[in-house]
Amino acid sequence: MAMSDDLNAIQEQVQKALADAHSLDDLEKIRVAALGKKGSLTAIMHMMGKVPPEERPAMGQLANTVRANVDSAIKKAKVELAKKAMDARISAEAADITLPGRRLTPGTEHLINSIREEIEDIFAGMGYTVEDGPYVETTYYNFTALNAPEDHPSRSAKDTFYVVDNAPEGKESHVLGESDVLLRTQTSGVQVHVMEEKKPPIYMICPGTVFRPDTADANHLPQFTQVEGLVVDEGITFGDLKGTLDYFCREIFGKDRATRYRPHFFPFTEPSCEVDVSCGVCHGKGCRFCKNTGWLEILGCGMVDPNVFKYVGIDPEKYSGFAFGIGVERVAALRYDLPDLRMLMTGDMRFLKQF
Amino acid sequence: MRVSYEWLKSMVDVPEDPQDLVREFVRTGTEVEAVERVGADITNVVTSQVVEKVPHPDSDHMFVCKMDVGMRNVDENGNPVPVQVVCGAQNFEKGDKTVTALVGATLPGDVKIKKGKLRGVESYGMNCSSRELGMDSDHSGIMILPADTPVGLDFIEWKGMSDTVIDCEITPNRPDCLSMCGMAVEVSAMLDEDTHMDLPSIQNESADFGRTADLVDVKIDDPELCGRYTARVVRNVKIGPSPEWLARRVIAAGARPINNVVDVTNYVMFLTGQPLHAFDLGKLAERDGKRHIVVRAAKDGERLTTLDEQERELTSDMVVITDDGNAPVALAGVMGGLNSDIDEDTVDVLLESAVFDSGHVSRASRNLDLMSEASIRFERQVDGEKCALVSDIAAALFEQCCGAQVCEGMVDEYPAPVAAPQIELRPDRVRTLCGAPIETGFMARRLERLGCTVMRGADEHSAMQVVAPTNRPDLTREIDLVEEVLRLWGEGDVEPTLPAARNHAGGLTVEQQRLRKIGRVLRSSGLSETSTYNFADPRDLEMLGMSEEGRGVPVKIMRPLVADQSEMRRDMIPGLLRSVAYNLDHGVSNVHLYEIGRVFFGSEHKSQPEEPSFVAGVMCGAWNDDQWNRKYPNLDFFDAKGIVENLLEALRITKVRFKVADPGKYGWLQPGRAAEVIAQGELLGWVGNIHPMSLKNFDIDVPVIAFELSVKALLRLAKRELPYEDVPTLPGVSIDLALVVGEDMSFEQVTQRIKSAGGKLLSDVQLFDVYRDPVRVGKGKKSMAFSLTYRAADHTLTSEEVDKAHNKLVTKVMKSTGGEVRS
Repeated sequence: MAMSDDLNAIQEQVQKALADAHSLDDLEKIRVAALGKKGSLTAIMHMMGKVPPEERPAMGQLANTVRANVDSAIKKAKVELAKKAMDARISAEAADITLPGRRLTPGTEHLINSIREEIEDIFAGMGYTVEDGPYVETTYYNFTALNAPEDHPSRSAKDTFYVVDNAPEGKESHVLGESDVLLRTQTSGVQVHVMEEKKPPIYMICPGTVFRPDTADANHLPQFTQVEGLVVDEGITFGDLKGTLDYFCREIFGKDRATRYRPHFFPFTEPSCEVDVSCGVCHGKGCRFCKNTGWLEILGCGMVDPNVFKYVGIDPEKYSGFAFGIGVERVAALRYDLPDLRMLMTGDMRFLKQF
Repeated sequence: MRVSYEWLKSMVDVPEDPQDLVREFVRTGTEVEAVERVGADITNVVTSQVVEKVPHPDSDHMFVCKMDVGMRNVDENGNPVPVQVVCGAQNFEKGDKTVTALVGATLPGDVKIKKGKLRGVESYGMNCSSRELGMDSDHSGIMILPADTPVGLDFIEWKGMSDTVIDCEITPNRPDCLSMCGMAVEVSAMLDEDTHMDLPSIQNESADFGRTADLVDVKIDDPELCGRYTARVVRNVKIGPSPEWLARRVIAAGARPINNVVDVTNYVMFLTGQPLHAFDLGKLAERDGKRHIVVRAAKDGERLTTLDEQERELTSDMVVITDDGNAPVALAGVMGGLNSDIDEDTVDVLLESAVFDSGHVSRASRNLDLMSEASIRFERQVDGEKCALVSDIAAALFEQCCGAQVCEGMVDEYPAPVAAPQIELRPDRVRTLCGAPIETGFMARRLERLGCTVMRGADEHSAMQVVAPTNRPDLTREIDLVEEVLRLWGEGDVEPTLPAARNHAGGLTVEQQRLRKIGRVLRSSGLSETSTYNFADPRDLEMLGMSEEGRGVPVKIMRPLVADQSEMRRDMIPGLLRSVAYNLDHGVSNVHLYEIGRVFFGSEHKSQPEEPSFVAGVMCGAWNDDQWNRKYPNLDFFDAKGIVENLLEALRITKVRFKVADPGKYGWLQPGRAAEVIAQGELLGWVGNIHPMSLKNFDIDVPVIAFELSVKALLRLAKRELPYEDVPTLPGVSIDLALVVGEDMSFEQVTQRIKSAGGKLLSDVQLFDVYRDPVRVGKGKKSMAFSLTYRAADHTLTSEEVDKAHNKLVTKVMKSTGGEVRS
């Protein structure tokens, strides 16, 4: 039974060789040595014809079994080897995952603009349009059409940046340091432009830069940002003003915040009020942040004065409306407890990157 | 307006605790700035008795005193011990009762009493004059208290000097609240309580002292300037300190006691809101035995030295009081003249109680930068109806406090009597506008409390007729009354609702959304948004090296806060460069900023400038500091250009070209590193390195790359979408081509020639290397390596097709560029 011995020997040989194999190359060599064209097992298979016919079935079966065994042993070894190789790679690739990640660093939006967009989105969601107007405005739009009397103290050069009027058209003599052209002190003038151009219903806000001659310090900037709002429609009530601003305050400061309406005076609204929101630090108990009042002043508002309607030709008996003005820097300062507003204007990357 | 609680209490019923009133003030619209405890700044000041007084051994005017301060100074057994005080006053004797500030005491004006040595003698306190206690202006000696005063008591408490002053911010529409009477009425409406005002009246007005009409006449040049002028004469005043109650109220109201005559005028102003002026009659020019008051417009250049001893140059817009039309004796409504002021020798007083036009007073005050208690009130309008009444009150007090004799009658020029309008108030309108169920009865009652005359209609719904008091110029229309009613009813109690809107839609416009997209793309490209001042230094453009051409004339601020912010910017780069410098100065070397903002191009012939918007960016340093696994090269021109390319692509702007910027036109850019950005033939802006010379002017010593693009142009050229192109399904064939060309050939030119030579099959051209080497490539030449992709949309290309197309391309490109293929 020399052939069967040979077959068994080959199987043993292959198994032994596989135990020593370390690479796919080794495996391939083993496979070729056994199963290749000139392989030992192939050679035996070729000799099968010389086997006596009566032994042939048994021998054939044995040969096939050996061949199958060898084949599967090699495949198994291959899988094991591949796994080993993958394990090795995985362990080699293990990293200190606390090392910093590789990042693309996008830039950030300026704090004031991001709050401004937040405000825009709140009102856009309520169906308001977003309007715009000139920064260098006339006294008519900034004061007169907003019902501020001609000699009202708020028009003083102490509170308004007047600019040189290049086309004064022989208008009346002015107070020193004043002219008919100014840097808008409020975005309210845009109300007038919009009411001149559109018919009610009007639901609009106007976010934008405004200017006042306050020397820059921790709490003041000569240039800051306001969002003006205006609604003109039939049947608008003071309750609508409150409902709208309550909604706004909760959206911007949080659902748990309360509001307080204090009567106040603005030339272009009547009745007018200032709105406070409950202090987020002490929740109304009183603390350093709210100067022990429990409240933080955040905006001014009121029902549109009929005189303003008359200036733009809207019938105050048919329509009523409300207007409000929000200081964006104020919202930012309240939200982040900013120690110094001037940080907003320096362009300091360390500041900007925080928001 | 400083409201003394004790004073207010004498006029209207108020709650025991001032804080309760403060809450009501806030609820009804009077802002409270501060609540001060009067006397709180005086501590450790006690009643005392002089038990020993010996001359100072080393001084001929000081005394060494032993002061009995009761239990305020005790020995270790708890027995009272007198305190030694060195005192320079001359007006006291041993046994007198007085006031002593002990060591550790505080007095008004932040004065602290410490243990001291006066010419070698130790002193453990100070005996006080009434001026030192802030009570009045008397500093002639220490206060002598009644003989039965107990010693060792807290002086403030004993004296009942403690008071609360509520400092209210009065809005400009409420001149009535700039007076205690007005405040009392306001409080009465607020609390629905009665007032009980007890105003002084003249005891003995007599022709025996003369008739005012014989002594004075008044002429008003123009009723526009002065609506009413009353004059009254009181004689034989005895100038001296005011009685303590008067001084105390004047102090509580925020003024300084001066003398009894001046204090009376101030007191009555605080009481009634009517500014008064007292002239020394003897100092006014006399003609025919009379003084002739003339109210007239000032003359341009006319001069007057006001009571604050400042000489003022007047203009014809100001109003003056003159004696007989000559030189001014007062700047009407603002301040009296020094030439006619009350002094120690004044005997006869001419009292002015008048109303001047608010506009003229307001402008005079602003133009002279001179604000007074009078001007504040006239600016907001003073009640002309009350001039005579107020004059009577003041005369009564001159009688009472200055020993004056009141001449009979007054001269009253009242050319333009004021009449309060009748206003119709529709209760239903109030309820509709407020959205609140305010009862008609509430409206009528509270308006009456405010001093209005109210005629109710037939029922709850019918209109009422209201006449407002003459000291409420803010109440002329129905809406003014609506406000009064609502604020007293309570804005806080109105139920919040949302508008029941119909027929409107809102949201951001396409342009507004695109503007936001510009910001988003720049941020995702690595730039952070900043905000700079829209103001500019007049030298900015020159420092930058930017010509004024096309930027109009500057918009000049008439009264800038600082010289380097005296006009409006005409370009955004100077401001951004300052931000770069700020960062560098603070140790931040990687700076990447952008701003979207306006610039201002003024015109010689227009009042208002053009205000185009720009988006500008500046960057320097690297994207980041080197990391453990990544190094960051310094930023250069192509980083900025890449951002601009990103932006234009995101806005779907096509036919973009970067053209070499002409150094003559772009003086602020470094030649050879500067490009104009053009799309569809329109100039959008520029990108480039800021010229090192310009950087130097802004104290920057590192390269800065910047860009500036017109927002208007970007928004105009932006598209919502570009046509869809099929994603290739068939494989393409890539072939590399290294082309050696002269340095004068630009990438743009070479690419153009490759594309035009490539025919239909060339689908992509990518530059992947530029290489220079004088030996291998040749001097003045560069090798540009491209990866070319050939692809057909309808079939897989054969190698013959590709070879044919590529060979044709190479031949054509070599010819058109004058280049060679580098093998």
